Formats: sequence, C-alpha cells, structure tokens
Amino acid sequence: MQLTIRGTGQDVNVLSYLLAKNPNNLYERNVSGHLVRMFFSKFTDDEVEVTIFVTPDPIELSRNNSEAYDITSYINDREFAVSSIFCTFIRTALGTALNGKPTEEYEPWVNHPFSLQFSFGPVASQLTDNELLDLFQPLGYDVAITYGEVDYRMDFKRVSTARYITLEGMTTLQMGLRQLFVLIPVLDNYKHYYIDEKEVGKIERYGEGWLDQHPLREFILRRALRFEELYNLVEKQTVPELKTETEPKSRLNDLRYERIVRRVNQLNFRESIVDFGSGEGKLSEKLGFVDGVKEILAVEPSESENLKALKRYEKVVQKENFVMPKQVMGSLFYYDERLKNKDIMILCEVIEHIDEDRLPKIMRIILQEYRPRVLLLTTPNQEYNAVYGMDEGYRHPDHRFEWTREEFQTWSKKQDEESKYDISFEGIGEEHEQYGTPTQMAVFTRREV
Amino acid sequence: MEIVLPYAGIVLLVGPSNSGKSTFLKQLIDKGQILPSEIISSDEFRVRVSNLEFIDWAHRWKDVSESLYNDYQRISAEAFSLMEATIEARCRLNKLTFVDATHLYPDDRKRYIEFGKKHHVPVVTLVLDVNQDVLLERDKKRENPRGTKRIKQQYQVFKREKRFIKKEGYLETYFISDTNETEVSRRNSNPLYLEIENGIDIIGDIHGCYDEMIQLLEQLGYEKNAEELYVHPEGRKFLSLGDIMSRGPESLKTMSFFLHHVNENLAYMIDSNHGWKIARWLDGKNVTLAHGDELVAEDFKQYKDKEKIEQLKHELKTFLLKAPSHYVLTKQGIPTLVCTHAGIKDEFIGKQSDDISDFCRYGDHEGVNETGRPIRKDWTIHHKTSTLIVWGHDPKPKPLVINNTINIDQGVVFGGELTAFRYPEKEFVAVQAKKDYYEGLNNPLMELKKKRLNPPNIAKFIGGFTVSTNELGQIKIPKEYALSTIDSVSHYTVPIEGLVYIPPTMSPTPAVSALKNYLEHPKEAIDYYRSMGVERMVAEKKHMGSRGILFLFKDSEVGRKYVGRETLGVIYTRTGRRFFDMATEGEILSRINESLTANDYFNKHNTEFLLMDAEIMPWNLKAKELISSQYAHVAENAILDRGLLKDKIESAAGSNVDLAKWLKEYEDKLANARVFKDVFQKYCWEINEIDQIQIAPFHILAHSHETFFNKPHTWHMEMNKAFSLMDRLFVETEYMVINDRADEEEVIQWWGEITSDGHEGIVIKPETFISKYKGRLIQPAIKVRGRKYLHIIYGMDYLEPENLTRLKKRNVGKKQKHALKEFALGIEGIQRLINGESIERVHECVLGTLAMESDPVDPRL
Repeated sequence: MQLTIRGTGQDVNVLSYLLAKNPNNLYERNVSGHLVRMFFSKFTDDEVEVTIFVTPDPIELSRNNSEAYDITSYINDREFAVSSIFCTFIRTALGTALNGKPTEEYEPWVNHPFSLQFSFGPVASQLTDNELLDLFQPLGYDVAITYGEVDYRMDFKRVSTARYITLEGMTTLQMGLRQLFVLIPVLDNYKHYYIDEKEVGKIERYGEGWLDQHPLREFILRRALRFEELYNLVEKQTVPELKTETEPKSRLNDLRYERIVRRVNQLNFRESIVDFGSGEGKLSEKLGFVDGVKEILAVEPSESENLKALKRYEKVVQKENFVMPKQVMGSLFYYDERLKNKDIMILCEVIEHIDEDRLPKIMRIILQEYRPRVLLLTTPNQEYNAVYGMDEGYRHPDHRFEWTREEFQTWSKKQDEESKYDISFEGIGEEHEQYGTPTQMAVFTRREV
Repeated sequence: MEIVLPYAGIVLLVGPSNSGKSTFLKQLIDKGQILPSEIISSDEFRVRVSNLEFIDWAHRWKDVSESLYNDYQRISAEAFSLMEATIEARCRLNKLTFVDATHLYPDDRKRYIEFGKKHHVPVVTLVLDVNQDVLLERDKKRENPRGTKRIKQQYQVFKREKRFIKKEGYLETYFISDTNETEVSRRNSNPLYLEIENGIDIIGDIHGCYDEMIQLLEQLGYEKNAEELYVHPEGRKFLSLGDIMSRGPESLKTMSFFLHHVNENLAYMIDSNHGWKIARWLDGKNVTLAHGDELVAEDFKQYKDKEKIEQLKHELKTFLLKAPSHYVLTKQGIPTLVCTHAGIKDEFIGKQSDDISDFCRYGDHEGVNETGRPIRKDWTIHHKTSTLIVWGHDPKPKPLVINNTINIDQGVVFGGELTAFRYPEKEFVAVQAKKDYYEGLNNPLMELKKKRLNPPNIAKFIGGFTVSTNELGQIKIPKEYALSTIDSVSHYTVPIEGLVYIPPTMSPTPAVSALKNYLEHPKEAIDYYRSMGVERMVAEKKHMGSRGILFLFKDSEVGRKYVGRETLGVIYTRTGRRFFDMATEGEILSRINESLTANDYFNKHNTEFLLMDAEIMPWNLKAKELISSQYAHVAENAILDRGLLKDKIESAAGSNVDLAKWLKEYEDKLANARVFKDVFQKYCWEINEIDQIQIAPFHILAHSHETFFNKPHTWHMEMNKAFSLMDRLFVETEYMVINDRADEEEVIQWWGEITSDGHEGIVIKPETFISKYKGRLIQPAIKVRGRKYLHIIYGMDYLEPENLTRLKKRNVGKKQKHALKEFALGIEGIQRLINGESIERVHECVLGTLAMESDPVDPRL
C-alpha cells in the first residue's frame, strides 16, 4: 500500500514544509508492528516526489480478523491494497498536511494550488474503470489507471483485479489528501474499524468544499458510512431502495399468500397447520391470524431464516387473535413424527428447489406417513415464463425445474400411490389466456373413510 | 427341618416378642451362616433414632401413659421408615436381608411382599411358633419385660394370623417350633451367574435350523465325540439365546440337542418367547400354536416311537420351563456381559421374577399394529451401565451394536445368517442359511431391507447426539453443531442415501520442525509414529486437488438398491456436496463404469459397489473461483505493490545506506510474491475434456460385503495402481515404505525434492490402517507439507524469521482430536453400511463427521 505525491513547478519544494518532513531523512514509524515509511525520491526547486508506504506485519494483520476460521483471513489482499487501514496508518505521518497546520511561516502556502500528481494503489475495488473515473474526474483530475500482471499459465482472468491509479491536476496538497482520505475507503468497500458517529464528523470535515458539489455525493456517503442509521444522520430523507423488475414478483408472492390464506379459511378442518419451508415466516405469520387455527408448525432448517422469522412473529405476538407459530427445525429430507396427522400441510414454492428425483420419496412420506387432511402445493408455471419474456432458464437460480401445467398435474396424480386423496388444481396470479397463471397450486384432499 | 434360603431377597421373621427371632438369627451368625449386616431389626433402628429400645407406658398415670405411648408411636414410625429404606436399598442391590420384627399384623407383612415385587426379589418367611407359656416365661427373664398383658395380646393375634400366612404369596414359609432342630442352607452364588472359564460362544436364534447350527458349531471348533456330543477341545461352552425352535425345519431335533448338551453341562440355554410357548403347550396349558409354533407340534406327530416321545416331552417340558430368563457372564466373579433373549432393563440384571421373565422373553412392547404384530419399543436406549448385553429375538441383517448392546439374531430361518458371538474374544462367527425356511409374508429381513432407505428420524439428531463407535467408543455431538449440519444437509449436500462417508481431517506434524528454516518436516511425523510404537510406515505423495468420495455401482439397478434411484454412482466433496455438475458426473461415472466392467472388476471381487476415497485434480476444478478471487488476486496485488516500491526505492537509493536496506527488503518480498504466484499455479491446468481430470484414489474403503480397514496401506496403494491401469482417469500415487533409518533418510530426501519442485508434500501413515498404541487409537495419518507449498497457506512471507518464529507456536491438539474422532466415525459408518443397517444409522456417523467439521479449527493446519 503506497501513495506517491509528485509536484512540479515553481516553489514546489514548499511541499516538504507542508508535510513537515525533512526531504533528506527517511521517515519510519512503527504502528502496532506495522512500519509506516516515507522517503523523498526527488527534491529540487521545481520537482518534488515523495512516497509514503506501509510495510505491514501480516501475522498481526490477520490476527484480529473475525473470520479467523477461514483460510481467506490469512491469504488476502489486506496487506497490499490501499484501504481504510492504509488511511489510518498514514494519518499521523500526514497530519500536518491534512490539517493544514504547518509552521506559521508556511501557512499561506496551505491554500496554494500546485500542479500535483497523486498515484496510489494497489486498489482492490469492485468498481469498474468508468466508475473510478466518475469519482475522480469531477474533482478536476486527469485519471490514469494501470493494472497488475495476469501472465498465468491458465486462463484465470483477462484483466487484473489489482489496479494502480494516478491523478493529475492543479490542487492544494490538503485538498488532494482529504479527497483521498474520503475516497480510498469508498473504492475499497471494506472498513476495518467500527463505524460510528465520529465517522460522520470526519466525512464532514474532509469533505468540506468539494463533496457537496460531487455528482456522486450520495453514493460516496452511502459507501463511506455503510449503515443506514448513520447515513440517515447526514441525509435526513430516506431514499427509496432501487427497485427494478422485482416488483411483479413480490406482488405475486403476496397473491400466493392471500390465496393460500383464503383456501385455508375455506377448509372445515384447520386447527393444525404445517408450513414446510417456512423461511423467514411470511406465510406462517399470516396463518397466525386465520380464525380457527390453533397450531402452526413452521418447519425450516436454516437457523438464520428461523431467526428472521422469530423477529417477525415477535412483532405481532401481542396482537389479538394471533397464534404464535411454533418453529420446528426440520426439512423434507428427514422424518419428523411431530408433523403427523395435521389438518393442513403447505409447501409453498418449495418443491422446485429440490432435485426432481428426490421428490417421490418426499411425497410418499407426506401422503402416507404425515397424512394431512389437506396438502397445498404451489410451484411456478413454466409456460408463464413466456409472458415474462424469458425463453429459457428458470425464474430463480436455485430452481431445479419449472413445470408446465400438464407436467405438474401428471406428476401430482402420480404421487398419490395409495389413491387416498382427491386432487384439484388452480392458478394464482394474473391469468394469460394461452399461458395460464404465473403460479400453479395443487390441492390434495384426503378422502374421508 | 431344613430351610433353604434364596441367594437374595427378604427373609421375614414372624413371631411375638420372646419367640426367639433375634436369638435364632444370632445362632446363625455364630455358625457363620449369615452376616450381622444382613439383619435389619426394628429394635436396633429404634435405638438408632431415639437411643431407647423399649418404653413401658403401662402402670402410669393416664396422662403420662398417653404421652409415653405417643412417643413410642413416633419413634416406631421413624425407625420403620429408615428400616424400610434400608431394606429397599438392599433389594435393589440384590442382597439378602433378614427382617427382625414381630410382623404380627397382615399389613406389616404386606409391605415386604410389595418390596419383593417392586425390586424383583423373593420373600421367604420364618415363623417362630412358640407357645404362650414359654413366651411368658422368657419375658420375665429379659431386661425390659414387655409385660404379661402385652405378650398375651400378641399371642392372640399370632394364633389368629398363623393360618393365613402361607397364602400371602411368599416363595417359602417355614414354621419353626424348635430352632435347635433346624438346618439352614443358603445359596451363596447367584444362579444366573456363569463364570466364562475357557470361553463361551453365544448363539443367536436358531429356530430349528439344525444344519446351520451344526455348521456353526464346527466353525467354532466344536467336535463331535463318541456320545454324539459336540465338545470344544479348549473346553469352551456354547450358550443359546433361546428360540431354538419353531418356524424352521427341525425344531424337535434342535431341542433334543440342547436338552442333552445342557444336561451334560456342555451348553446353556435361556428362556424365550417361543420356548415359553412350547413349554406351556407341553405342560398341557391351553395355548394356540401359531407363528411357526404349530410346526413344533407337527414335529412331535411325526415322531415314530410313541413311548419314547412321552418321556422326551416330559424332559423337554421341564427343561424349557426352568430355562432362566437371562444369564450374567462373569470374569473371575465380576459380571461383564448379560445374555437375554429379547431385552432387559438394567435393574433386572441378576434377578428373577415373573415380570423379568416376561420382559426378557418379549422385550419392551406396546400394543399391536394394524397387522396384529407387536409394536416393539427400543429398550436399548435405556441401557446405561458398562455391562455388555447380547440379545436376539429381533432379526437384523448383521450384528447390530447399539448403546453397548449387541443383537446377534441375523434371521437364519428367514434366509439370513446364524451368528455366534465369541466371548471374551468379542468376535463374530456366522454361517449363511441354506435357504429362506419361512416363506411367509412379513419376512422381517425383507421388511428391513425395504425400509433401509427411509429418511432418518430427525428427533434422533436435533438435540445433539452420541455415536457409539467401535474404535473410539462414544462420540458426542453437541446440539449447536448438529443443528447447523442438518441445515447444511437440508440444503447443499448430495442426497442422504448416497452420503455414506465423509473423510476425516488430517493433522500436520504434531511438532513443528526443529530446523531453523522449516515449519514442517518429515522427521517429526516419523518420530511421532516411532514414539507410538510404529515401526513400519508408508509415505505417500500428497496430491493437491480436492478431496472426493466415489461411490460407484456395478450398474444402475444396484444404484436403485443403494441410493433409491437408477444411477451408476455419486461423487462428492468432503463437505458432502456434489463434486461435478450433473452432466460431468454422469460422463465420468459411465466412463469409469465401462473401464471397471471391461476389467470384470465387480464380478471378480464379487461386489455390487466400490467405495473409494480420492484426491481429484486439478485444484481449479473445484476451486477456480477461490483461486482467481483470492490467490491470483493476492498475487497480482502483491507483485504490483512490491514491484512499484522496489523500483521507486531503487531509483532513489543512490548511495543512501538506509534506502539500500529497504531495497534489499523489497527485492526479497517481491521474490516471495513470485514464489507464491508460482506455487498455486502448479496445481492448476485447463480442463477442456474429461481426460484432463485426474483421480488419485488412496483408500479403497469398501465393497458390498467387506471393508478394507484390515488391509495395510501398501495393499491400498497397490490397488490404486491397479485402477490406474484400468482407466486413465485414475493416476498412480508414488509411495515409499519406511522400515529403518536408511528408509527414513530416503523419504526425507524424496520429500525435499518433490516439494522444492512445488508439490504439496507427503502423508505418512502407519502401515496398518487402524493403529493403536497401548490400546489407544493413534493418528491414522500425518501430513508433511513442503516449504514452498506453505506459502499459500501461511502467507508469502511466512519464512521470514520473525514470522516463522511466531508461526511455530501452533497447536495441533484440537485438530488431532478431530482427526481421531472423524476417523472412528468414518469406519463406523462404512461398517454399518456393509452390515446392511438403515441409512439412518449410517447417516448418524456422517452427520457426526460433518458436525465435527463445523467446530472451528485453525484452517492453516
């Protein structure tokens, strides 16, 4: 991690006073085991070049990593790439210049623009070259980007993910450094320390005089402050989340839940319900308000989903007539006797996430062992993908299949090996006259003996 | 008169004060027939709680008398509650206890009948029948006379009760009028205890399969002598777990066989459900013969000699009726093993009662199911003690070891096997049935086979669980790791049916290298094994790819049998995920299948499947994303950073001595970065076609009928070589055997050569697959990674002295513990698979290993 500042033109040797560093000496400080170093490689009346870099202690660096049990916490770019760590390391060395507080004699030079070049890197950023240009060009810099070597023996990548940026322009040393101290962490998209209110103050201080006019101000603030709460301290109004094509899908989700709830309401026996693959609990929450329901078993294997669901239920648990769903750690691949003989079992958008050849066994367990009075089963209608303009591929990358109405119906009938259920089919969502509805549902009703 | 006392239980003395109860017991103590600690006396407990043996409340003022009487009642109540607690404790421990009190009232005695029932011990009464004059005479002479009135009162009660006592349900009631004319004998050993002496061979349910039984006895080394008796030259004896008859072809012949051998003290047999049924039938009881018992009656009908048959019937009846519910085998008097037919509770062991007999015959059952068959409950989960319980009754395809119990009924009559368990050797010997003799519906072995792939019951795992392994005993899996693993199995792994084995993790050298410039070195691995008594070792080249398990089937029909769908196999990673995409997997499986079939592999080895543990290369096959985004990315950043700095310092260095130092530093660092970049590329190459994939098997884990943990690693390596000749996808792995110091030097040199060329390193293993030192499992393998390779593990600058010094402070303790547990779990799971056990039982081991891996360990080890 390194930064080289090069200045040319008259009086440029004043820079050494603004930096408060003697150009004849090497600078080296030990910051908790890491070496912060600086040296002047050129120093004449009209050309000055100074490089500040860090030689980190890799072992110390990896020690405080929260992901200590992953190999990537030992083999990573943190000891090379410029980042918030780099800024923290060099802040003291560049304190005088950043704060604009040289000895009194040189104070007038603080606001004097020089022809300066800042080159720094390596930059490990998710941003594209154009996005990088958009960050620096509005500040009046000419920007050049160079890349690391990708001379591999096999085709790992075309372009290196290590970049080196050179900015050139007329600016004051303080302004240039302050811009870098705000933007380097923005590029890197990784912060090594806890972000709190202090960060807001820092951004306001370093951003003074340029950030408010920056066309990407909002983006810079978001990336710099990371957390919504902090962001809101600066930006009072909340900016709506980016919404693209997710909208029709989330509406379809609601339609599905509505239909299932309506269907449940129509059933005479609805005291006990199993919601298989309950995820973050959206459907189970709604079922909790259905009249006559006394028990909901929300079955889900994922601990993180279960936590989310719990939060959701806790928000409404005080409400009248809400039946708190019981969270059951489980999945369709295990047998669970707690799920036997319930009134209703629901598999809402579950089966398409399971390899097709595993389904018959699962259905046998459901229909012959768990034996719900009614089984509700929904899955996408593949025909409808045409309406979305999809020619191939699935609606979700984890889908193992998507069936046409005929495929789903044939399959469903085949699952009732013992002929104990009546099966009917219905559609959910806006109907297209040729392709049907986006979602299809099978209703298995156990015949009364 | 002769009194026979049981081995354990309650002996109740009955008689008024002065009838001589205590005196009689004292006589027995003096003769050395009983111990003072075996006597519980109410008088003694009264003294213990109150210091008073006797209170005389008569002849006082009324108020004083009433108060004293109240005191006496309270003292008695306390004394009796302590006394009863003591008696119950002794009953639980199966001891004999003499209760010395008057026991004149029926309620006093009923308590003990209840204790006897509750704790499954017999109750015997000794009634001291002395006439009133003698009682009164004696009372005058004692220290605290009870008084004529009280004695007379007691005698009246005694006279009234005398005739009822016999009917109250004691094992025996003895009336003693003169203690001097009484002979007492007692059983000093538990009749259920059997000293193992020269060894005992426990045999599972025979069900009239006489031929198989004889074949098994011969296999066990028994020889027929002139009297047609099967005798073991070393004096071993055999013990049947019951159900020797019914269902099968030769019940009568088998029963006669045991009758003679038991009578000749060459064999033992315990009670069983079918045995009891036949016994009662022979006893003339009104029983319905079904479930194959009718075949026994048929056998008797066929018997020609009518006279002899009645005699035989009588003998068999007695033999079967007196067969004990269970036996306890002892080593020098100490119980170590229990033989029972269908089950036992820990508190029943060594005791006899109707309830115990019932439990041992039928096990723990609860009603019947739709088809009228009993619903069997799992009694084994309640077994908590260290005593091994061997049982039969419920046919399992192979001996089933659960929770320190072993089922050895392998359903010979259903076409399975007849199993013997040799004790104390703890070895199984089995013979295959000649045929399925019971061609009825509901063949339990078939039922089990049908259910084998049923989904595992999640209740067994979600609260955390314990796996009993043969190699390492009980392995506990805590709840938190169990849950996250179930989550992973529910989302990412291949289907549970195919996920039969997860390879264990492997520890690097237990100590870091003593050499200054090395972190790991073969010397420490070899020293470790030598210190564990291992003389012969195998050093195998360690490939750098990704671990892969290959479960390969003879044909897709076999696939249906083992994983429930038609497939030629499954290939998965060490986290249980599918190794290749479906299409590539299919292609590789067909390719390997063709090659193995072309070499007649499956037929030659008489197997339906091949399970192997391998390294699959190149590394980028599985890890391309990681390599590109992590390793390559780091290399690019490092070289860019260090290269630029080096140039910049160089350009400014001039004659500055300090800058020259920085320059040297950055030249070295740049070189380190280049080594790093070079090393990880060594394990990568483009994959355009299947042939560029390499599979290096290093363990042949199992065929459908056997595991290969008993084979040395040299055998495994030779097998691997054979595979490489069958298909080019398989590559041979270089290895060397370490016998002596010279070999050691050679291996170190070899390791040095291949690793400086960038190869990962070597793995050193004891020659035997499962190695123990002083009875304890030792590390099955130790990896020794190369100096260069470790750049991509410990960082590109790890060899810099100040870094290496710190990195050498690593601790492999936890890694080693995990390695051992996972090794034991792996072997256990495969053994269960081969035994035809349910996938739930196999999954228990797999889930265990996966769960161990979610317990975090330093990933660099």
